[in-house]
Amino acid sequence: MIYFDNAATTKYKPETVIKAFVDYTRNVGVSPGRGSYSLGIDASRKLYQVRKSVGKYFGLGDLTNVVFTKNSTEAINLFFCGYLNKGDHVLITCYEHNSVLRPLQSMQDKGMIDYSIISREDLLLPAKQILDKYCKTNTKVLAVTLASNLTGRIVFSRDLFAEAKKHDITTFLDSSQGAGKIHISMEADKIDYLAFTGHKDLMGLPGTGGLCCKEKDKIVPLLQGGTGILGNEYVNPKAFPEGLEAGTLNMPAIWALGSAINYVSEHMEENQLKERHLVDTLLKELNEMGSVTIYDNEFERVSTIGINIEGHTSDEVVKYLDDNDVCVRGGIHCAILAHEALNTVSTGVVRISLSPSNTEEEIFRFIELIKKM
Amino acid sequence: MVIEMNIVFFSTNDVFAGEDRLKDKQINCKIVPTPVTDKAYCGVCIETDNEDAIEALEDMEFNVIRKGA
Repeated sequence: MIYFDNAATTKYKPETVIKAFVDYTRNVGVSPGRGSYSLGIDASRKLYQVRKSVGKYFGLGDLTNVVFTKNSTEAINLFFCGYLNKGDHVLITCYEHNSVLRPLQSMQDKGMIDYSIISREDLLLPAKQILDKYCKTNTKVLAVTLASNLTGRIVFSRDLFAEAKKHDITTFLDSSQGAGKIHISMEADKIDYLAFTGHKDLMGLPGTGGLCCKEKDKIVPLLQGGTGILGNEYVNPKAFPEGLEAGTLNMPAIWALGSAINYVSEHMEENQLKERHLVDTLLKELNEMGSVTIYDNEFERVSTIGINIEGHTSDEVVKYLDDNDVCVRGGIHCAILAHEALNTVSTGVVRISLSPSNTEEEIFRFIELIKKM
Repeated sequence: MVIEMNIVFFSTNDVFAGEDRLKDKQINCKIVPTPVTDKAYCGVCIETDNEDAIEALEDMEFNVIRKGA
């Protein structure tokens, strides 16, 4: 079986990640921040260690300004719902995932905020021009995806974030696509808040994600409940990060995330080279086929490619490839804004998303199958 | 006379950040259950008999509960 849906989740995890999950489940097995017995203290210490690893990985100034959530969707909702106030304006791009679009649309529908979308064409403008065109006096946040989950295009721009800071706009990065492939430093890259997910190219397990925060005190909790501290209070305590982490954390998966981050850090350069080679090979072959449309072909990308094949709907292509034991994803990909920008709402798009576990042989097998269509 | 003290925090994260900091400065400490007081703190705290710990943690939010000699 050939797995080319790594943008949805990485199927093959490093052995150290699986080992860490099993190790925690077998040998610790208790929740952090709850019991004050030795095993509970061990669990809490492990949570702290992973928080530091995540903060270090993303170049946070204060390493433990990391709030764990169950995925990046929850982290994104935590940020928008907890940070924005009535009357705020938010600027996003046409490549944002539904996990960014939907909370903002929902808040706009309730009359709380409004948002604007930087068009695909305008993303090519100099940063100052983009902000001059789209910013309003009440623009509070610029939210951008690191890369498009539909086409793989790298959307994040350091220039744009630097320019936003000159306007005193809070910058937010959705790193769900590309966090494990592109080196990011929140401090250096002027990122105030960053949402991440553990199970995609960070190579961790589902059920992990988080919000990295430049500052601690600006967000209202998304969930009210048990936080393990100050249990005498009737609402979540203002303590950070625990006040924003109500409920039991998925600690076995968080411990595994620590191993995943170590793995990704240690292997980033070799993985980047390998994926670059695979993507270049795939693009070269696809570009030679006249019947294939490659979206955002001209842009720098992560190892994701979105295509359509003349004469075939995206679901037909997905079914054909599945019949030949190749997993790709078709349809809307929870990226309606990108489809509207690319005019592919009615057709959908076939997405091929690679990981370091893929091989050149798999690429050539895929090409062979496409040629036979 | 060595007086043991408990350094108590509101955030569990701060307990371990504090532990890190004390270990960096080679100040002996351990993490123990927080003694019951009139105020609710995080369930674990730092126990140490080294007064230098207080200065080492000075920009953090904590309280000190001193035990009898």
